[in-house]
Amino acid sequence: MHNRVDKFKETARAEMKNELSQAFLLMLSLGAPIMRQIGMSSFPDPAAAEAYGRAIRTESIERLPELLEEFKKNAQAKGAKVIWARDSAEAKASVLDIAKKRGINYITKGKSMVTEEIGLNEHLISNGVDVFETDLGEVITQMLSRAPFHIVGPALNVPPEEISAVFLKRGVIKQPTVNPVELGKAVREYMREKFRYLDMGIVGVNMAVAETGTIINVENEGNIRMNKSSPRTLVAIMSIEKVVPTMADALHMVRILSRNCTGQKLTGYVSMDTGPKKSDEMDGPEELFIIIVDNGRSEIYRDIKVREILKCIRCGACLNACPIYAKIGGYPYGFSYSGPMGQILNPMLLGIEHTSDLFRACTLCGACKKICPAGIDHPSIILEYRARQIKDRKHQTLSARFENNLATCSSLAMSSSMLWNLAVKTVRPLFNSLAEDGYIRDMPFGAKGWFSCRNLRAMPDKTFHEIWKKLNLPNPDDVRKKETL
Amino acid sequence: MSSQVRNEILSKIKSAQRNDPLPRPQLPFLSERALDREQMLERFTAELTSQTGTVYRAKDRKDAERVLSEIAAAEGFKQVIAVGKNLQGIDIKSFGNSNGITVRTLADLKDREALRKAAFAADAGITSADFAIAETGTLGIIFSKDQPRLASIAPPVHIAIVSIEKLYPVYEDAVKQVFGNVNEIPSQFAFITGPSATADIQAISFKGMHGPTKVIVIFIMGQ
Ligand code: SF4
Repeated sequence: MHNRVDKFKETARAEMKNELSQAFLLMLSLGAPIMRQIGMSSFPDPAAAEAYGRAIRTESIERLPELLEEFKKNAQAKGAKVIWARDSAEAKASVLDIAKKRGINYITKGKSMVTEEIGLNEHLISNGVDVFETDLGEVITQMLSRAPFHIVGPALNVPPEEISAVFLKRGVIKQPTVNPVELGKAVREYMREKFRYLDMGIVGVNMAVAETGTIINVENEGNIRMNKSSPRTLVAIMSIEKVVPTMADALHMVRILSRNCTGQKLTGYVSMDTGPKKSDEMDGPEELFIIIVDNGRSEIYRDIKVREILKCIRCGACLNACPIYAKIGGYPYGFSYSGPMGQILNPMLLGIEHTSDLFRACTLCGACKKICPAGIDHPSIILEYRARQIKDRKHQTLSARFENNLATCSSLAMSSSMLWNLAVKTVRPLFNSLAEDGYIRDMPFGAKGWFSCRNLRAMPDKTFHEIWKKLNLPNPDDVRKKETL
Repeated sequence: MSSQVRNEILSKIKSAQRNDPLPRPQLPFLSERALDREQMLERFTAELTSQTGTVYRAKDRKDAERVLSEIAAAEGFKQVIAVGKNLQGIDIKSFGNSNGITVRTLADLKDREALRKAAFAADAGITSADFAIAETGTLGIIFSKDQPRLASIAPPVHIAIVSIEKLYPVYEDAVKQVFGNVNEIPSQFAFITGPSATADIQAISFKGMHGPTKVIVIFIMGQ
């Protein structure tokens, strides 16, 4: 996917002024966590279920090498063709090759984050193979050539007027309509023709089960099941971290994923495929290709401080919980992955030096960590990136150097109470001379960015210690001594 | 070529530092396991109904045919596709004849093309579900030569006939049976919970996105 991470601040500013986005984000950030909460509370013991899910993800990642091999062996034994791809170029080339060799004119696709990450659609289309996204939200974003607003609902914020206009242009509808149900039903009819004569489908993978070589997809719309049923050729694309050890683990994770994703106890469809169709079956793929894509994951795996990123199950819960996402929505992140999940993954995929705005746009409140069903500690990964960026002399910005020096000075001052008190006494009048109505809104010499979104309170005239001394109260230690006597 | 790429990827992650994962906590308890048959039926019905599905209890095969005819009349079916090994013994052709409905079974369909044509044209797909799961009002279907995939996803109405013997508390009960023997794993097994749905435009949800708009389950209570 073409990334626009460098436009983070610009896009964020524009989105914060966009009334539609704001109204929508308000609804999302209030509603989605409640839905999730209701879903989770249907577990007899939600905390135990969450802990067990986190343990499955931790174990899956720690045992990744052997689980991947086991998955490959079992999938192949059932007749799936497993293809490995080091990077996006290799993955795209394999899919194109499969399509070309079979003389495919068009492909329909189920929603898949990794295909967005590698820019699969653009590659196929520019090489003469048409691709139709089939998930309703993806149909809309594809037709509008727009980035996903949210990983679960990529076009949730797009006004119906805009959808109507693009559907008219593409021949999906004949008469304009702003009714969401009519718009959706029109896509149903439009896609049915495509599914009916389909020769090749592409789907992502939610879970790959090592024990059986099974790939699992969860969905509500039925487009993935159509893709897995109608055509002769099916390509399933997964990144290496999708494996789980057993079917029992997969079932638990499906329960967890559904609840965290949409608040449902179970999504409408959970389809579990093990190999292509049997020779006596009438439908289902004659050939099942499973493309296992690395594209930077093995590097993340080797980087022990951030390895846990790979535990993510792409549920989207952290987006809904994040106070930053709730203000700016998905566009500013500029890549397939947005919200806290994108803030930890994109720097590894695109380079820390190119994604500084992402890991700096975080208050470290920890809401994502708290909600994450995979047990990822986003704030500490974000801090790790900040530290790496500061240490990286080659890409260090002037303000980073300044911040660094400032931190060194203050840590020196804080190391001795005498120095600290002295510093406070000297700085206070200077500092307070900038205040207006008790707030400092700007300062000379830089820090503009800092003050653009927050104010500082002026320092009080006296410190707590000074006030305490003035009160001349008895020393609490002496009082206690007296009492015990 | 691919094996070289595979080795490269695998050796990269294999040579990375290993941490031993902590032992798993205790498997969370599933309260549904304690349900008796009547409670399972109640739970199944409540869950599926909340997804706009409908649940019928038929006394036996004959009664199921009666229920089917009632549904067909109410929905105005003209043509249906019916699949699944002997459909729990229901005489589907006579159901078609007496209701004036064209019924296509696998015997009428010679290949994938014929199946696709029939499935996409049908007003309803009648299938025989292998499992019903109380936990969420979910059907479990094993796809095979007797049970093609399209019959339960392409037509706008999906009617599943299930023997009450196949009603279980939780997903694990079905998965253990389906995946228990490695040599008999089907090419696809699916859980279906209600009609297809979406809420992708303005978070307005509706049923009947790409798959069925209606899901109807008929339990056969006796023989
Ligand atoms: S980081 Fe956690 S909460 Fe966020 S999408 Fe991934 S699994 Fe879900």
